[in-house]
Amino acid sequence: MRAPLGHEESWLQLPWLANGRLSGELRAEVEAHVHGCSDCALELEAQRTLCRTLQSPDTVTYAPAPSLRKLLQRLDAEPAPRRETLRRREVRRAWRPPGLAWAATFVLTVGLGLLVAGTYHWSQPLYVTATRPAAAPTVLHVAFERSLPVGEVGEVLQRAGARVVEGEGGSDVFGVVPADTGAAPAGRAQLRALAARLRRDPRVRWIEPLASDAQPEP
Amino acid sequence: MTEATYRGTATVAREMELIRRVAAGDRRAFEELYHLYHRRMARFLTRLTHRYDVAEEVINDTFWVVWRKAGDFRGESAPSTWILGIAYRKARSAFRANARRPEENLEVLPDVLTHETPATGAELRDWLGQALDALPVEQRMAVQLCYELGHSCEEIAAIMNCPVNTVKTRLFHARAKLQRLLPQLAEPRTGTAP
Ligand SMILES: [Zn+2]
Repeated sequence: MRAPLGHEESWLQLPWLANGRLSGELRAEVEAHVHGCSDCALELEAQRTLCRTLQSPDTVTYAPAPSLRKLLQRLDAEPAPRRETLRRREVRRAWRPPGLAWAATFVLTVGLGLLVAGTYHWSQPLYVTATRPAAAPTVLHVAFERSLPVGEVGEVLQRAGARVVEGEGGSDVFGVVPADTGAAPAGRAQLRALAARLRRDPRVRWIEPLASDAQPEP
Repeated sequence: MTEATYRGTATVAREMELIRRVAAGDRRAFEELYHLYHRRMARFLTRLTHRYDVAEEVINDTFWVVWRKAGDFRGESAPSTWILGIAYRKARSAFRANARRPEENLEVLPDVLTHETPATGAELRDWLGQALDALPVEQRMAVQLCYELGHSCEEIAAIMNCPVNTVKTRLFHARAKLQRLLPQLAEPRTGTAP
């Protein structure tokens, strides 16, 4: 059995007994000491007064909106931070949403239909998208096998030389660019090469075709 | 307890989720997180520096880091510990650059601020504000983190990036000084309504 808590240690712990942040055994020990020590009991009262006084409601109202506006302007004026690390972490939790997964499955089915009809070139991807961006693509959208652990997603991307640049929470579709492009937008040829590298990996479930890949090259 | 003090597991989980969304570039989540922290940080920092413009600058510098580094947050500490740790570093620099130096205050402060019993909580708060000014900045921040924001000893150590024994020592000295300046703190009272 432990010796009872001494006066000195109890004294040091009083601020957290006063602010309610001592837990379990330590709290019981400090309380037991305070019960039999008039100095600590008096000091505890002073500590509680400090808490009450510093937490008492403000006479000033702080309006966050103007400050936030300034900050958002500042963020807008700067280049977006790299979102690489978190995207990978996000993958772990991103395999649940049915919406895009369903869409990807649908798209794959359409692609297979086209293949059977013989209207699709063998080297083309086995899918099409219903909506296609009009502008030249700068990002490649991919999805992975749902059961793929986060570490393996990172490995697939690294092996293919891809860097994650987009991916909203709740979605399992990632926007990637070639890792070596830096801040400059990736060219179509670079994206196509990246798509080809990713396609070789069986763990990649879906890749959005580039707009130009749907038609033969001029 | 007021909203400024320690918040429960559900709040921590909610803030974790907000940081996760901020990490994904979600502006709405960022704004929500900003609103959650603005009030208590504004009060904490204004009390510390006596200048709202400095407080605002520290808050925005802090959240600028939050926006950029949310992806590095591993959830090993509570979100508030992480955010206030950033704010602490920013506040310390801002304080050194902008605020009155405690040493200057020491020269003008008497041994005891007042022997009068404060009539109201607001009066006591004013006295306490003056007494806090007499403390070195590290002690002051420890005091505010403990009594005003309701952090545990371990959380304060994480925020101030120091050992828990240093936190206890800082508070020990701060308490002794506050007690000397404001002996009324130890007088039993029934309430301190403003
Ligand atoms: Zn004692």
